[in-house]
Amino acid sequence: MPRRSSQVLIAEDLARGGQTGAAVTACYEALAVDDREPFAHCLLAHLMLDGDFYDEAIAEATTAIELDPDCSPAYLALGLAYDRRGGMWDQSVLVWHELAEVVPDLVTAHVQLGEAFAAAQFEEQAVESWQRALELDPTEARATYNLAIAALKHEGMANALPGFRKAGELDPSQDDLFFALLGVSVVPDRPVDPAKVRADRDSRLGAAGLAARADDLFAAAELARLVLDEEPDDADALAIAAYTYLKQEATNEAMACALRALASRPDLPTALYTLGVVYSKRTGLSRHAARVFVALAKAAHTQALSHVLLAEALLGLQRYSQAKKAYATAVRLDPACVRARFGLAAVHLTEGSHAEAEWEIRRAAYYDTKRQGLFWKLYDEYAEGGGE
Amino acid sequence: MARDHDEAAAEEREGRQAPRRNPDFPVGCDIYPLDEERRGYADWYERDISADFATLAEAHVSLVRVFISWKCFEPQVGQYDDVADERLDALLEAAHAHDMRLIVCFFADDRLAEMNDVTWGKRRDAHTDDYLIQRQTQLVQRVVNRLRTDPAVWAWDLGNEAFLAGFASEADLESWVATMRDAIQEVDADRPILLGCDAETLFRTSGVDPRPAIDIGEYAISHVTAPYRVYAAEGPVTSGPATYLDSFLLRASLRELPVLVDGVGVHALDYSFAEEAAAVRTALFSALMNGASGVMLRRFRDLATEKREPYFRDPFEVLVGVADADGAPKPVMAEVKRFARVAARIDFRRYQAAPSRAAVVIPAERYEPLPSLAGLYDPRACLQAYIAAKEAHVPVAVAREGDDLEALHAVFVPSAAKLSAEMWRELAAFVQGGGSVVLSYGGGDADPAVREIFGVEFLGDHGSRRTFSCRVAQPGMLGELMSFDARLELPHFALLGHGGATVVATDATGSPLLTSNQFGQGTAVFCATPVERAIAQGDPWAAPEEVRSLLRTVYGSVARAAGAAPVLGCDSPDVEVAVFLGEEDDIVLALNHAPVAITATLSSERMVAGVADARGGKPAEVGGKSFGVPLGPNAAAALRLTYA
Repeated sequence: MPRRSSQVLIAEDLARGGQTGAAVTACYEALAVDDREPFAHCLLAHLMLDGDFYDEAIAEATTAIELDPDCSPAYLALGLAYDRRGGMWDQSVLVWHELAEVVPDLVTAHVQLGEAFAAAQFEEQAVESWQRALELDPTEARATYNLAIAALKHEGMANALPGFRKAGELDPSQDDLFFALLGVSVVPDRPVDPAKVRADRDSRLGAAGLAARADDLFAAAELARLVLDEEPDDADALAIAAYTYLKQEATNEAMACALRALASRPDLPTALYTLGVVYSKRTGLSRHAARVFVALAKAAHTQALSHVLLAEALLGLQRYSQAKKAYATAVRLDPACVRARFGLAAVHLTEGSHAEAEWEIRRAAYYDTKRQGLFWKLYDEYAEGGGE
Repeated sequence: MARDHDEAAAEEREGRQAPRRNPDFPVGCDIYPLDEERRGYADWYERDISADFATLAEAHVSLVRVFISWKCFEPQVGQYDDVADERLDALLEAAHAHDMRLIVCFFADDRLAEMNDVTWGKRRDAHTDDYLIQRQTQLVQRVVNRLRTDPAVWAWDLGNEAFLAGFASEADLESWVATMRDAIQEVDADRPILLGCDAETLFRTSGVDPRPAIDIGEYAISHVTAPYRVYAAEGPVTSGPATYLDSFLLRASLRELPVLVDGVGVHALDYSFAEEAAAVRTALFSALMNGASGVMLRRFRDLATEKREPYFRDPFEVLVGVADADGAPKPVMAEVKRFARVAARIDFRRYQAAPSRAAVVIPAERYEPLPSLAGLYDPRACLQAYIAAKEAHVPVAVAREGDDLEALHAVFVPSAAKLSAEMWRELAAFVQGGGSVVLSYGGGDADPAVREIFGVEFLGDHGSRRTFSCRVAQPGMLGELMSFDARLELPHFALLGHGGATVVATDATGSPLLTSNQFGQGTAVFCATPVERAIAQGDPWAAPEEVRSLLRTVYGSVARAAGAAPVLGCDSPDVEVAVFLGEEDDIVLALNHAPVAITATLSSERMVAGVADARGGKPAEVGGKSFGVPLGPNAAAALRLTYA
């Protein structure tokens, strides 16, 4: 097992705790004791990358790899730094290749490799890399987005749209929006038992939301039904019922429930969401989807994804400038919204703004990889023995 | 081109010959020795260069920088090559033929022509080796001696940034510059000498502060390098911070010497022609509007690269020109021509740029090496502060900690973790004497002077937070602020106790966010969080509009109250306005930093009688204090204003 000095351990703790300045100082203290410590250089690379200081990150990661060619987290940091810095695609391709060999099941390495290939104008190799990523993980949304972008470049929007839709469905953020609208932010740690829920409307609805969040659609539907037995026009219950139908691909029932909910509360965001999603899944109803999502974007204007859904509907109608506005609003509300970034890239490509499109794809990659916390996963594996 | 034709026709109708060039504001371009990657060092300017000069002259370019190849001139120690002399003569002839002038650069690295790679140098370091420096001196004196009587030579450039980045210390650089300067002045004491590097970007690249060396010359250079752009504004070149970076570095370079804005152009070949043109237009007008003394385009021809893959972009950023690899002008050349015409119409003897009475102050901690992160954070934070001031239409300069603040009415000190004791004293005296300061907390302990100047008691750093919340407590006190909650990662938040200042806004829990304190004759505004750094370290292209609005509102309000207000108001934050004041009329330049069309409403204290295109034409009657200026995406307008 590779040994880490006490200074490195301190730096690690500080870095994990987000205390960048103190962590950098601790790394330098570690290097003052032993400047051939790959962990310290690797940590510094990560910290520099976190601050978007790419040249410094490249220098530190390169040193770490020189000191230990098996230092997988340093490869990750180096590849990301090359990608984000831009203009160094050949080095980037080499690094991602290397990492994909060192950690063959690391899906992100293949996705990033594809993005580096695409930036270097190697479209075929890029597509192969993304397909390889999807072989490893068929639910990998970013690879699907990238494939949709590739299709857009070569075959136009009509052929790219199914790819964007599929990527959107894979993207977990869509369900997150429904639960954010419902006010359920955390997944319950225990299953919801409908029999133990207090027999009042609010308790049942709250429990239904939690059950749906935990993917227990039957419990959620049962609780919603109990509310509807007492008040058949309860809009909130109808909206939850609509969602449970939607998740079971029963789109007619979902649509019926959502419409009934909206009959009594025309601006109920959860019902608008479900109805919009149902419409967008059905060929020929995309115009209706756009209208519903306009209402959703108004009702839930602080939710980035409500604007993304609107933008995607507008994209389907080829209303690119309106879609661009909606995507831009989503990015302003949440710069880390990968789905909005890819969508915005698509619109830029339709306008011939390649540099802007490239930027959005790079930012999407940045936030997506950051979200995964891959560095620490690789770092811990390396510390546990990968560096021996 | 149709527009060019219309302008020319208008001038013809008016029976006058428009000035083609402005002698006080030259537009120049670098012509590199090699335009094809497959060529070798011996092909140094071995081509008919006259056509390139002709194309540039057609675009009203008046200045060309050429690069001496030490390797070609001195193939053996002390033996100079006649062929190299002849090719240099051909460059001079071309300049004469097209009424252009040359900047002769002695030591440049373009990663292609191996200009300093003298084989007999035996790998000694040309930056520090005494013998090689002596040989350099000989070369410089020989070239200067041959050309000193030639009126086509405008200035001597000692070296470009790629070469100068090889110096490891300030002392080595300063000594080398002094030696070269002395060598030139022994032969030619008249012509200006310059050092072809930007103080900020060279420091970022090499850790060497070249300011003392730059000050040895007669001109300074401002230059956005590719690595610096990636560091400071990595996003699209036609929007957001990238469009302000050229002028920020220019303002930072404006000290004692006149400044040439160098290296204008995009850094990579993957931009569309339209994007290239927009980026170049923005940089050119930014230069003119912010006090430059001339501009230099990065390259004449695109470099014809070898067909190798994956494509590798040259880190010395000399790939992209204003003409394609065959020498045919790209659309960007039309932009250059149009710009040169505008610049030619501004007679700097008649019109003076409106003074900048406000400044963003770069803290001295910027020069601290790692592990201090200030050197990495501060320039970005200062760029965001500069952008906020520009968006507030405040005529703003860039100063450094330790600079004299006497001529200023308002200063912005963005997100500094620490200032020197001398700077605190200077700030206290500045505010007491009637100046205004906006300072944002940068983390760590606050200096005791904060209590004295800003009237707040520092109780500690509450740490980072993910939401920027603002609740306005005193509406109207620092402009029209709005309450909001926005998603923005804040690295620090100072907890403040009462120390006499008025709390203008708080966070969601009631902790002071913005305070204003009357101290002596001036006003000191404290922001409890490093908002400029937060914008810079987040995503500056997607920074919450509410936060940007807060910052520009505070800056604008403080500057206006302090007497640093703009001459003309503007209702669009994305439109930068510069005013050149004349006795009878004013010239106004407006630049749209956004990639979308905008109609900006400009407003004046005085009654505007008419507005005309600065290049000529009939004025449109206004008869009011405000008027609209339609601007296309990244477009610029040059207007002549007359007053009732």
